[in-house]
Amino acid sequence: MTKISNGKNLEAGEPHWIEWVTGVVSAVIVLGVIAWIGKDALVDRDSSPNLVGVVLQTEKRDGGFQVLFEIRNDSSATASQVAVHGEIREQGSVLENVETVLDYVPGHSKAKGGLIFQQDPTGKTLTVRASSFDEP
Amino acid sequence: MSVAITREDFDRSKFFAGIARGIAGALLFALPMFMTMEMWELGFYMDRSRLFLLLIVNIPLLVILSDRIGFERTSTWRQAIRDASIAYGLGVLGSALILFAMGVLKYDQSPHEIIGMIAIQAIPASIGAMLGRSQLGGQSDDGDDAKEGDSDDPIHERETSYAGELFLMAVGALFLNLNVAPTEEMILLSYKMTPWHGLLMIAASLAVMHGFVYALSFKGSHDLAEGTPSWHAFVRFTLPGYVIAGLISAYCLWTFHRTDDIGSTQILMAVVVLSFPGAIGAAAARLIL
Repeated sequence: MTKISNGKNLEAGEPHWIEWVTGVVSAVIVLGVIAWIGKDALVDRDSSPNLVGVVLQTEKRDGGFQVLFEIRNDSSATASQVAVHGEIREQGSVLENVETVLDYVPGHSKAKGGLIFQQDPTGKTLTVRASSFDEP
Repeated sequence: MSVAITREDFDRSKFFAGIARGIAGALLFALPMFMTMEMWELGFYMDRSRLFLLLIVNIPLLVILSDRIGFERTSTWRQAIRDASIAYGLGVLGSALILFAMGVLKYDQSPHEIIGMIAIQAIPASIGAMLGRSQLGGQSDDGDDAKEGDSDDPIHERETSYAGELFLMAVGALFLNLNVAPTEEMILLSYKMTPWHGLLMIAASLAVMHGFVYALSFKGSHDLAEGTPSWHAFVRFTLPGYVIAGLISAYCLWTFHRTDDIGSTQILMAVVVLSFPGAIGAAAARLIL
């Protein structure tokens, strides 16, 4: 409880027990956050991202064949401006190339996007991979 | 005290002065957000259920704000609700007018985009309208009270409950968070920072927060009862205030799609980054409101 008198604020000298409980619970939460981040600071430090592309689904849309993908980053380092390269191949020869750029793929996270092909990828080899990135 | 009890009591000039003050408050507090590109874009793509939740959450917030710091010293919940709805209305109207005047809103946009942009900007604008009416309000409003305006004046001798102090901190944190949470810089900072920076930022937030309210002797700063060690205030007010700032930061980041598909450590780092302005807002609210 805070007493306000002529513009002066005075915290109560003998606070209610709820104030102490709230304070202690808060302290536990803050210490938990510090411990979590501290653990990463000490043990989980990668110097570069580790990017893997996964095709989620392919569907026919008005503009062509839409391939939804996901780029996963299993490292703790964040990648920015991740260029994603999609390719349809049939018997070794490349039929179609499509590219897009993802703003960020943060560490231990994933980012989703879509590529639009003119040809139907079913029955052919479809690969989606990250081809370049920047540091944020 | 322009509460109209009967039709004759209604003071038109005071009412319009209050409205104008609300608009001025909305402008003063929400203009940075009106001029933030990310905020417009959120109006287009933001998940409608999250926007809906934000719009709903804003209602009790405004009502409690009106009741607590209510500029027109609302004595009943009915009046608080009335003032909250005026502030919300001003927020919606002000957003529409300002976005239109700046050329952000155009006739040929889809209703989906227009409504989305107005709705999201109306949140900070309505809080601004409410704060503006209290913070920019002159003493002339309290004409009747000025006569008895010595130290017995009830407004100068009051107690705020613990929950009330925490609520003020939440409003302050929300206000500063809304200003910066939609910008890309918040997540970019969290990606650039190492965990060590994060730990430093937590320490800095707590120090600034405690210093603002207790150490720097700002106007409106708080004192402890004599003989109370200073860590009491740190445990009872600063730590809970920081946790509140953190929770509000997390809510803002989730609302603005900054946490989607992101790993837990990265979310935590973004929350720590956003809690820094949040903590300052929370501390400032305790001084100002």
